[in-house]
Amino acid sequence: MHVFDRAFRLVLPLGAIAVLGTVLTVGWFTQPDRYAKGYAPQQPIPFSHQLHAGTLKMSCAYCHGGATKSRAAGIPSVETCMGCHKVTKTDRPAIQELTRIYTSGQALPWQRVHTLPDHVFFDHRPHVNGGIACQTCHGEVQTMKVITREMGMRMGSCLACHRDPHAALPKGSKITRGAEHCAACHR
Amino acid sequence: MDKHIHHDPNDLLPIGTPRHWRSLDERAETPEARQAAHDEFKPGAMDPEDRPSTNLSRRTFLTLVGATTALAATVACDKKGRSTVVPYTKRPQEIVPGVANHYASTFPEGRRAYSVLVKTREGRPIHITGNDEHPRLKGKTSPRALSDVLRLYDPDRLRLPKISGRPSSWVEAEQTLVAALAAAKREAKPVLLLTGATTSPTRRALLKELQGAVPTLRHLAWEPSLGDAAQEGALAAYGTAVDIRPRLEKAKVILSLGADFLNGDDPEAIAAFTAKRRLSEPVATMNRLWVLEGAMSLTGTNADQRVPVRSSRLAALAFALAKELGGTANVTVPAGLPASEGISTETWTSLVHDLKAAGREAVVLCGDAMPAEAHVAAALLNNLLGSQALDIRATESLATLKDLEAVRQDMAAGKYAAALLWDVNPAYAFPKAADWKDAFGKVPTRAWIGLIEDESAAQCTLVLPEHHWLEAWGDYLDDSVLTLQQPTIGALYTSKQGEDFLLTLLKGLGATKAPDYHAYLQARWQKEVQPAGSFASFDRFFQSALHDGLVRLEGKATTAPTFKSTALADMAARAFASQPSGFELLLRPGTQVLDGRYANSSWLQELPDPITKATWGNPLSLSVADAQALGVKDGDMVELEAAGTKLRHPVILQPGQAKGTLALALGYGRKTGGVARGVGFNAFPLLALGTSDPNLQFGTKLSKARGHMDLPVTQSHHRMEGRDLVRSFSLAEFTKEAEHGHAHIEHATLYPEQSFPDHKWGMVIDLSACIGCSACSLACQSENNIPSVGPDQITKGREMHWMRIDRYYEGEIENPKVVHQPMLCQHCDAAPCENVCPVNATNHSPDGLNQMAYNRCVGTRYCANNCPYKVRRFNFLEFTADKIEPASLVYNPEVTVRPRGVMEKCTFCVQRIQDVKIRAKGDNRPIKDGEVQPACAAACPSHAIVFGDLKDPNSEVSKLAKSKRGYKVLEEVGARPAITYLADLKNPAIVSAHEGATHE
Repeated sequence: MHVFDRAFRLVLPLGAIAVLGTVLTVGWFTQPDRYAKGYAPQQPIPFSHQLHAGTLKMSCAYCHGGATKSRAAGIPSVETCMGCHKVTKTDRPAIQELTRIYTSGQALPWQRVHTLPDHVFFDHRPHVNGGIACQTCHGEVQTMKVITREMGMRMGSCLACHRDPHAALPKGSKITRGAEHCAACHR
Repeated sequence: MDKHIHHDPNDLLPIGTPRHWRSLDERAETPEARQAAHDEFKPGAMDPEDRPSTNLSRRTFLTLVGATTALAATVACDKKGRSTVVPYTKRPQEIVPGVANHYASTFPEGRRAYSVLVKTREGRPIHITGNDEHPRLKGKTSPRALSDVLRLYDPDRLRLPKISGRPSSWVEAEQTLVAALAAAKREAKPVLLLTGATTSPTRRALLKELQGAVPTLRHLAWEPSLGDAAQEGALAAYGTAVDIRPRLEKAKVILSLGADFLNGDDPEAIAAFTAKRRLSEPVATMNRLWVLEGAMSLTGTNADQRVPVRSSRLAALAFALAKELGGTANVTVPAGLPASEGISTETWTSLVHDLKAAGREAVVLCGDAMPAEAHVAAALLNNLLGSQALDIRATESLATLKDLEAVRQDMAAGKYAAALLWDVNPAYAFPKAADWKDAFGKVPTRAWIGLIEDESAAQCTLVLPEHHWLEAWGDYLDDSVLTLQQPTIGALYTSKQGEDFLLTLLKGLGATKAPDYHAYLQARWQKEVQPAGSFASFDRFFQSALHDGLVRLEGKATTAPTFKSTALADMAARAFASQPSGFELLLRPGTQVLDGRYANSSWLQELPDPITKATWGNPLSLSVADAQALGVKDGDMVELEAAGTKLRHPVILQPGQAKGTLALALGYGRKTGGVARGVGFNAFPLLALGTSDPNLQFGTKLSKARGHMDLPVTQSHHRMEGRDLVRSFSLAEFTKEAEHGHAHIEHATLYPEQSFPDHKWGMVIDLSACIGCSACSLACQSENNIPSVGPDQITKGREMHWMRIDRYYEGEIENPKVVHQPMLCQHCDAAPCENVCPVNATNHSPDGLNQMAYNRCVGTRYCANNCPYKVRRFNFLEFTADKIEPASLVYNPEVTVRPRGVMEKCTFCVQRIQDVKIRAKGDNRPIKDGEVQPACAAACPSHAIVFGDLKDPNSEVSKLAKSKRGYKVLEEVGARPAITYLADLKNPAIVSAHEGATHE
């Protein structure tokens, strides 16, 4: 046996394992599911869902009315906020900032938390109209002070529910399955 | 050859013996054509792009690779999806983000105006369809109207007013022009206002006011491509300029004298014509179209009986017909007339018989470019027949070339003080453009207002950006319907609508107080349009007109001009005297670009000409016999000499063209515009000044020149061997066949049977109704974000249209029958493309769609190779994804913008299917028949495309699919297509003996 042989017998497999291990570890930690979960960027206005949806028990559709009418649930216009905040809590700096934006007609760019790739054409309407709670995908929003992403929102998340939607649907719903063909979401 | 039409599908013709042919090569069975039929992609289609060679050293290369990797790693560290979302600050009440809004508006084009519906998303127009509230257009519109949303976002649009080449402001421009007008008024010097034609009553009222404020104003309305002959003929026959609209629902026999009324511009005529040709049973209500013409036109391709005759001889023949019908007693028809034009006695007598028998139900239409005599003769024929299938209305006269020449001479003499060009381009479209420019340069104040800077703008001191029609107000009168045009988007640039600019001039001259054209229009409507004694407030009246896009003006019908026979003898003498020698050259408006005003639209440039299938240019079409005599082939250059101008031009051989006739499209060879520049050749210099019919030239000299051009023609791409793809038969044959019935074949399959639990989407395409106008192709392009690829890519066979119209010839080269066949993904139940995809990117949906997941596609192109219908398109290059604003604003947000390396094809507009499904589900109701309309079906003016659910036995599509004329393309392959074609029906007057009895 050559002097180097022993070294190679050890070094080569170890090296291979190290490379594989690195790939798997990096892959595991950067997979979109883990990676995206918990994303909670700072928003331009420190809006609290905990207060509005939780404590005040405002309906989701009051602000995100598009969910029943459109593909996109939508972010409410500044005008919608001002519907209440013309008179409510006008002493808070955040509300004053909001008022300034409203009166100047400036844009208010929120940080996007829930996002899907461009080739996915998710439609809120059938989900909301079918009785699926917003929390199913968006998490317990009414407890969030800062809106946080709870679901990876990968195709696996969609398909798991489409194949067995019972848990997400209200009791007594006649729906047994969701669409699974490509064109339902991709076109 | 066997004339039996319903071939047993198993009894294939030997491969390569086509009964129908698409190109002359295919007919002649050249080895190139054989090879092309075998290859999915043309040679060269798979070649990488030509790139300049780079002398990159190994070291530099490695440095660059390292740097790129480092950069990529840095960029990748950013969290995915970290982007912003910007809501409206104040959301307009009618907008729900993600939901399309539709607004009624009007697309104006010279003497026509089309009532349209504009689909907007988040305030951005993205798609145009016809307005279904319009009583006569019934939701259909012209291909150019469909495509014009692209011009709104044209990056070449002028964005700022310019004075002497430097950016300026509207105020400065207006002050300059007002001062010039006031000075001209003081000095009593003429001022030129040159515009296109319009049917807008409010614009006319405004122009009248301007005329009042500046008495020396000379307003000319000019349509450069229309020609002067029709107007001269109308003046001779009716004593006034007229607008003649066919009412084909009342016509049984139609005779066209070079009239191209089926070219797509008149959806109403197309609908009425084809309504009588979509037969489920062989019945005698089918109309008959006779076409006498020199050059092949789209109308000619749809003729039941087409007679190729030189255009110059049409008038003589029409007068001879009039004689046969018992008119023109004092006209002597030269002996042997029909025969001397190569028309057999049999043809002539059956034409005369048809016209006589139909009487009031016969109509004669004459083409714009035909000589004045022909127009008079057509008017005479209609008068003799007492035709009820025509609406003739007096209209304002247009400026002729003679008028323009007179103005040019005055300008050259320095008489004019100022000139304003509005949406016209005389520096390009005037035949002697150099002379025009010389004269125009002598006018001290020269202003131009328009969309994209053109040849004429280059000469003007004031260059002003105009609103696109989708940004502007207006109204247009069409008989008893007044349509309204409203802005569907705020102005993208610092532009103004032309009328608003004229208003500010009026204000500057102290002649009006209206703040803007919107207010001006409303004021006129309140005074003149709202019915007197109406209880509704004006606001409500106007709102309802805005909603419908139109108001009907009841009881305001004008009396039709009456036929005058005073000029008959003169005109007949002129008609019989004309015996021109040499080639005759017919100059027609470009099917897509018209007079060049749409030349910067890549959608229109890339839409194949419906007959030659040429894109991006205007090859000179000549008859095959003439080409052989001259020794030229497709793309060879010739030298053309007409009107004292020589032009080197490529040719294209046109079966069915009359010998001695040349045809050329106007509107190409522009010198400005990023898309338009250098495409095709400018034919306007060939128009003859000083003749009565500038669009028809006699004694044209033609000689072979050196050189050859590869024409970007699509007719030979994507061809499907010589199989029985189109079926066409006569009414007599249909009568025979209908008795026999036609069995469909069921194929065994190795694959498990598909099941379709809820829906099975399918389509029926009636070849008898399809006239080949290509509106469907354009609507598809607009709906599905299909890119234009340009002439070089077309030459390589890389065009992207999901829907193409295959044009097949049948029979003799001198006068072939033509069938148009829309070809798109057949959504086969046993799709050959699905089996070969290695990544399962294309597969079948439970509602019968052959679906395509772009994000799965890796671009092996196996599917395209295996598709028997040649309908799959591959993104060889980055055609769309690199587009930036404003060009990217036209995209439909419901459809993926496909990147390079991805296969795509027709989806049956799955985005629309999904939307309707979800809406129906939300309302808890079944989907109604006809509720899902793919873009092509919605745009088809002849109702040739019907879409629906084949599982519903009562749907229109299910019923039509069982038609006796129904067949599937390549049924013998066993792909089980979801599209049923209905065989083309022709109603010839003369049926050869073995085809059966003559239909009466």
